[in-house]
Amino acid sequence: MSNELIDFVIVSVALLAIGIYGLSVKRNFIRMLFAVEIIINAANLNLVAFARFLPHSGGQTFALFSIAIAAAEVAVGLALIIVAYRMYKNIDVANFRSLKG
Amino acid sequence: MIDLTSTPIIILVILGSVGVALPVVSIALKERPSMMSYGIATVIALFASIGYVLYQLALDHVAPAAIFSQDVLVDDAFGALFAIAMLIVAIFTTVGSFSYMKNKANPSVYFSLILLSAIGMVLVAYATDLVMLFVAWELMSIPTYILVGFLKKDPISNEAAIKYFLFGALSSAIIIYGISLAYGITGSTNIGEVIQGFMVLDANLIPIGLLAVGMFIAGFGFKMGLVPFHMWLPDTYEGAPPTIATLLAAGTKKAGFAAALRVIVMGTVALSLDWTLALGIIAVMTMTVGNIAAIMQKNLARMLAYSSIGHAGYILIGLSIAPFSTIGLQGSMFHILNHAVMKGAAFIAVAGIVTALAITHVDKLKGLARRMPITSLGLVISLLALAGVPPLSGFWSKLMLFGAAIDAGTVVWWGPWLAVAGVLNSALSLAYYGWIIRKMYFEGEKEKRIKEPKSIIAIMAFSIIFMVTIGVFPEPIIQFTEFATPAINAGFMP
Repeated sequence: MSNELIDFVIVSVALLAIGIYGLSVKRNFIRMLFAVEIIINAANLNLVAFARFLPHSGGQTFALFSIAIAAAEVAVGLALIIVAYRMYKNIDVANFRSLKG
Repeated sequence: MIDLTSTPIIILVILGSVGVALPVVSIALKERPSMMSYGIATVIALFASIGYVLYQLALDHVAPAAIFSQDVLVDDAFGALFAIAMLIVAIFTTVGSFSYMKNKANPSVYFSLILLSAIGMVLVAYATDLVMLFVAWELMSIPTYILVGFLKKDPISNEAAIKYFLFGALSSAIIIYGISLAYGITGSTNIGEVIQGFMVLDANLIPIGLLAVGMFIAGFGFKMGLVPFHMWLPDTYEGAPPTIATLLAAGTKKAGFAAALRVIVMGTVALSLDWTLALGIIAVMTMTVGNIAAIMQKNLARMLAYSSIGHAGYILIGLSIAPFSTIGLQGSMFHILNHAVMKGAAFIAVAGIVTALAITHVDKLKGLARRMPITSLGLVISLLALAGVPPLSGFWSKLMLFGAAIDAGTVVWWGPWLAVAGVLNSALSLAYYGWIIRKMYFEGEKEKRIKEPKSIIAIMAFSIIFMVTIGVFPEPIIQFTEFATPAINAGFMP
């Protein structure tokens, strides 16, 4: 068998690391949104891989739910950033400095 | 199969049908109904659901404490307590919005989103399956992202929404990763089965279990505003419409605690970790950072935001000593209910002040007691209750929490120090609450009284009566929290 569970988990952990790196380094809103999506997809990969290797199919159902929810979340995020783009004419999160203290 | 007349299903149907109908009605009708008609429909739906919760409780159809089942939702007293707290907050938010939403665009969408978020909060409290918990969590969060950024033309509101969105999306991504790990090592998404799986976990897999629980703490901690996951919270509460800050501070934060109680506390008990000290340290850090930062604030909403971080710390005391003391957990649940009303009333008072006078700065509150006497009285009573001054409701829940922490000193050496930190922080919080009270009552010249909105007066009257009544007769509510508290130390088995 070349399809070992550990391979999937390693890819998933790598994706998680990439997502966290992207969130902490990038300052462009769309890139940060991508980073969050990568983390969610890492979790989905985990869920589907575990469901394949466990005698339980719930994980695949959960992955479908989570894909649908992530889509809703991205829709809201893009709507917010469109509103921000109209005000600042760019999508850099460094614009947001008026609230602090 | 879950009973179709059980509380969560009925609440879902009532709130969901009204919530979906409102925007449809606003598009379908040629003559747009007024903002008030949407608001009144929302309030009726919320009252119907809170009535159904109380009706089921009165008929004894509700299982005591937190139970586990094979279903995704369960009708237990633990969920009922949180449902009552959150529906009260949703009613506060809706009624408080009557004056705030006057002459603002899209009232139907606004009220519909409040209803959808309320469904999410209630279902988080009733969920017994991690899939349901996650779906409910997102149903609670996504409408609030939109509500925080509801003032489209206002850059502050947009900034608050984007900060909130980024941290909220990160927190849900972390939660789902934690769920995937818990699912992988236990082979189930049912919370009861996950906990049983944790109990018999292979020694090699325990680090992964720890990682999963750590991810739950981080993910839920973002919503609860625990230090060090609190940085988005003051910005969001300050920039959001003040009515929505009520929903966030008093509502979604409590949903985080509901999820934490079901998942984190029980999961860590099952893993038999020495997690209590870690949660205790987070509790002390949270209340200290919240209260010290609040002293330095000049913006009223921001000050209350930091104070709500501080209160998350008090509630966490009960969670951290949960294995040694049932009273502590009861105190937490009691404080959650109290905090929902106290903080809700305080933020609605701020919303009333912002709507009527457009004041956000604490220094400009001079003489407010003469201009808006009832709002000022409500704000003062809720601030004193938050500080824990007897005989108001906040005193009893803090007494239970701190007393339980001192009692836990027989088991763990650091128990009494939690109580010391809590008492010192309460004293510290009186400093900035007292500052607001001094500005309102003892400064300023003769100002003319202005007309206060009736909706705000109604909320203030309700919350003053609630806080004083519970302060004088805490017995019934304490009995109810006793009925609703999960028994973690007494032969805990899902």
